[in-house]
Formats: sequence, C-alpha cells, structure tokens
Amino acid sequence: MDELIAILNEVRPGQNFSGAKNFFDQGMLDSLDLTALVAALESRYGVFMDVDEIVADNFCNLAAIKTVLVRKGVNL
Amino acid sequence: MSENKKDASAKRVLLAGDTTLDPLGRLLERGQETPRLQTSAAPYGQVYQILLDASHPAWEFQPDVLVAWTAAQWTLPSLEKLLRFEFESATAVYDAALREAEQFAEAVLRASKRVGLVLVPSWILPNHERWIQTITWRQGVGPANLLAKANLMLAEKFAAQQNIVLLDAGYWQASLGGPAHDPRMYAVAKILYSQKLFEKAAGEMKAVLRGALGLGKKVIVCDLDNTLWGGVVGDDGANNIKLGAPDPVGECFHAFQTALKGLRSRGILLAICSKNDEKFALSVIEEHPAMALRKSDFVAWRINWKDKAENLLGLAEELNLGLDSFVFLDDSPQERDQVRQVLPQVFTPNLPTSPSDLAPFLSSLSCFETPSLGKEDFERTEMYQAERGRKETLDVSGDVENWLRSLQIEVRAARLRRESLPRAAQLLNKTNQFNLSLRRLEEKSFWDWAEEPGNAAYTFHVCDRFGDFGLTGLASFSLAGTEARIVDFVMSCRVMGKKVEEALLGYTLDRARAAGADRVMAPVVDGPRNGPAKTFFATKFSNGDGAAIDPARVGIPPQINLKEGN
Repeated sequence: MDELIAILNEVRPGQNFSGAKNFFDQGMLDSLDLTALVAALESRYGVFMDVDEIVADNFCNLAAIKTVLVRKGVNL
Repeated sequence: MSENKKDASAKRVLLAGDTTLDPLGRLLERGQETPRLQTSAAPYGQVYQILLDASHPAWEFQPDVLVAWTAAQWTLPSLEKLLRFEFESATAVYDAALREAEQFAEAVLRASKRVGLVLVPSWILPNHERWIQTITWRQGVGPANLLAKANLMLAEKFAAQQNIVLLDAGYWQASLGGPAHDPRMYAVAKILYSQKLFEKAAGEMKAVLRGALGLGKKVIVCDLDNTLWGGVVGDDGANNIKLGAPDPVGECFHAFQTALKGLRSRGILLAICSKNDEKFALSVIEEHPAMALRKSDFVAWRINWKDKAENLLGLAEELNLGLDSFVFLDDSPQERDQVRQVLPQVFTPNLPTSPSDLAPFLSSLSCFETPSLGKEDFERTEMYQAERGRKETLDVSGDVENWLRSLQIEVRAARLRRESLPRAAQLLNKTNQFNLSLRRLEEKSFWDWAEEPGNAAYTFHVCDRFGDFGLTGLASFSLAGTEARIVDFVMSCRVMGKKVEEALLGYTLDRARAAGADRVMAPVVDGPRNGPAKTFFATKFSNGDGAAIDPARVGIPPQINLKEGN
C-alpha cells in the first residue's frame, strides 16, 4: 500500500491518499491525473489496462486500485 | 500544471497542441535533469489561435519557450483525406496538404517573435498506420512522400529563424521499440501519444534546452583497457588486445573509437584517464594498426597509477574547464563508483557490458547537444593542442613578458554581426569563469538587445603564431546620458592568462567614450565560478567610486596587436 501511495503522490503531490474514500469526488485527482496514474501503474507493475477499465471507479481509492491490480495478477 | 506557482529561476514553457499535452508538461516539470521548467499546457485544439493571436490568454503565462506539437493528420486536414481515400484527385489533396503545411509554418514564424525559443516536433504518423506500400512513397500522391515533403517545408521555412528548432520526432518514435501512440488514452482523454513517447520527448526537449543554455558536456575522459580496446594491454601485450577486424569483439571496440572520433570532430574534447604505463600506452595508441584514435585526437591524458578522481581534477585544471562539463567513461564499476562519490558533478554513466553496445550507447547520449555548430567547434581539438605548444614554450623560457611578446597575439575587434551571432551567443551562454554579469540570452534576444538604441555589442577574434583561437571575446555596453554600463564582458578560458582581457577592456572603454560616455561602470555579478572576472575587474575600479572603471588603470598591452574590422 505504501508503494501505491508513493505512486499517487508522484501523480499529485501533497495529498493525503491513505484514508480517502474517493479521490475524484474529494477533488484530489482529476481526469488527467487518472491517465497519469494508469500510465504510472502500468509502468511500475507491467500491466495493461484496457480502454473500458480506465474509468474513475477503478481507481477512486486504495482498495479499488488494489482490486484492479490483483485481478491482473499483481502480488501486492 | 503550475501556472500559479512562482518560480523565478525556472524557464517557462507553453505547450500548444491539437491533442492533450499535459503528460508532457508533467514530465518536463518533474524530471530531475536541469534546467528546471515550469509549464502551462494550453487547452488543446487552439494551436492557430495561440500562434497567430498575441492577445490569446495562453500568452499571459509569459513563456520563455513555446512547444508547438501538432499531429500531421489534423493540422493538415488534406493529409487525413489522402489517408482515408476521401478525394477525387490525389494530386489535388496532396497539393492542398502542402499549402496547409506552409500555413502552419507561417503561423509558427509569427509566434517566434513573441518568445525566446520555439520547439516544433516534426510530423509523424502512428507506426501502426500501414498504407499501400507500392504507392505510399509515390511522388504527388503517397502519404509517406507527402509527410516527408511537409517536414522538409517546415525545415526550409524555419531555416533563417535561429530561435525555431524542428525536433526529430521520427527518431523519438523509432528509438522506442514500442508504440508511440496510445489509442486508449486518446479515447479517454485525447492524449495521442504513449507515455514512453512523452518520456522520450521530454528528455530530448530538456537536452535541447540544456544545449541552448550552454549546459552541454564538453569533454569525454576515457579509460583505455576494456574501454577503448578489449583486454588489458599491460598484461596481454600490444599484439593481443582486441581491436579491429577480424575479431568481432575487436570490431566493436573499433566502432566505439570511430564514434568517439565523430564527437571529437564536432568539438567534443577527448582525454584519457587510465591506470597504465604512460609511455607504453601512448606507443600502443600511436602504433596499433587498428586504432581509430591517435594521440593527436586527445587534448590531454593522465596515464599513471593515481586514483581517477585525482586525475580528473588534474585534467579539469589543465584544460581550464569545469568538472560539470566532463563525461567519464570507464568499464570498471568500482572506478565509476569512486568518481561518482568523489566528483558527483562529473557525468559518469554505466557503460553497457557488451562491447557491441558501446558505439550505439555513445550515439544515444543526449548530453552533447548544441544549438549550432561552427568553425570553433570543428577546430577545437587543434586549438587545445596549440595551447599545449604555448605552455611548453613558456616552460622553456620562463619569462612571461618575453613569452607573451613571442606569441605575437592579434585581437580583431568588430561590432556584433548576424554572421558572428551564433558563436557570440554560444560564448555568452557557455562561459562561466571570465564572465562579468553571467547574463544568459539566446541568439534572438541578444541580437534584439544589441540593436536597441544606446546599446552596443562587440566581438573579439584572437589568434597568435601557434594558431587561431577563434571568436573568444564578447563585450557590450548600454549608454544612458554620459554614463555607460558594461553589460557583458565575456572571454573564453582558452585565451586567459595572455593579457587579452586588458586589450578587450581597453577597446570597450574606447568605444564607450567615443559614444559619449565620460564614466563607465562595470557592475560585477557575484557568481559561484566567475572568480577570474571578479579578480580582474577589482583591479580596474576607481578608489571609492564603486563599480566605476578608472581609465588610468586600463590600456591595450603593447604585446597585443589590436585591429578593428571583421
């Protein structure tokens, strides 16, 4: 989880991502941050997100991101 | 992006494109390499508005640099028609696309007057875009032919404009080994290019900016054993090192030397730092039949058993260049680690472990970027070698005044001209030590400044009986009423220690007085490395009158023959 938080902080520095319920609803990330986050996760974990997976719901909090990555075989 | 944050020392980069360029902005801002940048990505799809309209809100950012990155298929709508076969006459849409390319070039030219530097990535098509192979390069109808011609048109249109750089996006794309375009991200957020392409683009743009700011590397210091040749010459013997055909490993080291020689020919200095017996190693360099590099290709060497950091310091002192302009190439991870720890300012990259990767690795380095190439670059190694000759004469005679007279130094002073501008700007931006104000300006801004009423800039060309130093001095002043202020006073370290600075100041003072100045000021900027300029000017000021020059302390030395003209 620390690694995910570090990646999130690279995308958008200075935010407290650890306890947030929804990064997008809470104004912590916007749609361009979403694309940057997907690019960073793909590069870090060697995964590929399909076009229908690049939606805010899949990346709106730490648990959601973890679910997507685990589904793609990443061992977090 | 960070429009609202204040960062006075960062260069400001405006990104204008017909697709979303925010990912590029993030990479430019957050990358660790110099220079530091602040970016503003204008809303996509307003390229023409931004280029043509000086009052467009995007300009409120007051950029130093404009990146105009457009996609060929949208900026050239007729190319899109050609690609999709939406035409009655292929020739008609082909010609229309070229007119659209010309229109874009004209718009960029207009915008270039508003900003110091414009970066325009050349047009590319996605590498998945397959067209009819028998037709795609056909004259007058094929899209590959059209794209090449459109890019050439940009190059021709920008040729006279020093502050527009057409970047080779085709190379970026080819170097990736993966997709340059990302159809997913385009569907999601109108981001046309892949993250990998943006990373490559950001790296290359920073390299170009470093070159423009004079931050490119100037010296490569090489190890010998297992770096310039395969094997350890002291153990294996000169006949058994791997160098040259028919041995494949020897071929690779020869190719690496040839690549180094290419850099040397365009002005990068080569030096050696090796743990070896000096006499023996130099004889191998001179006599081995497959050496592409000979002794005359190196400006200095330290071939001994001392530690490499100490030797690098010695080389920096001998060449009178900062260690931050050095690249150190050594196959040994231990040696590299020691240099990195002791001299972190030296760029010490990891070398590839396979000899076959050495030459490609060298040609992939972006640290030798330069805004232009001129006579001084092509003759730099010879100039440094002539300097060795001069020092050897001094060592023999020991009498400095006699030695100076024997050099027969000639200084040619001239008003700054268009032809001398690229070298003058290079000198202004690269010189750290003998530099009064450390002012950095790219060519266009410097020219515009020098053309303003009351301002004057002069260049100085220096030669002596050993050779030509080239354009190695630059001075400018600004006149207000009867007081002149020396704004730039820059001299290459190549001519330091020969009283050339006395001649330059003497001439500058004469010009300022001829222009109507009865008082000449020389405010010195206190920089980290301009000690030589500070020390020199400290001896020229009137007592108790701040930065005012005392004319009694200035004069052209009798050993120097100063001429006016080109």
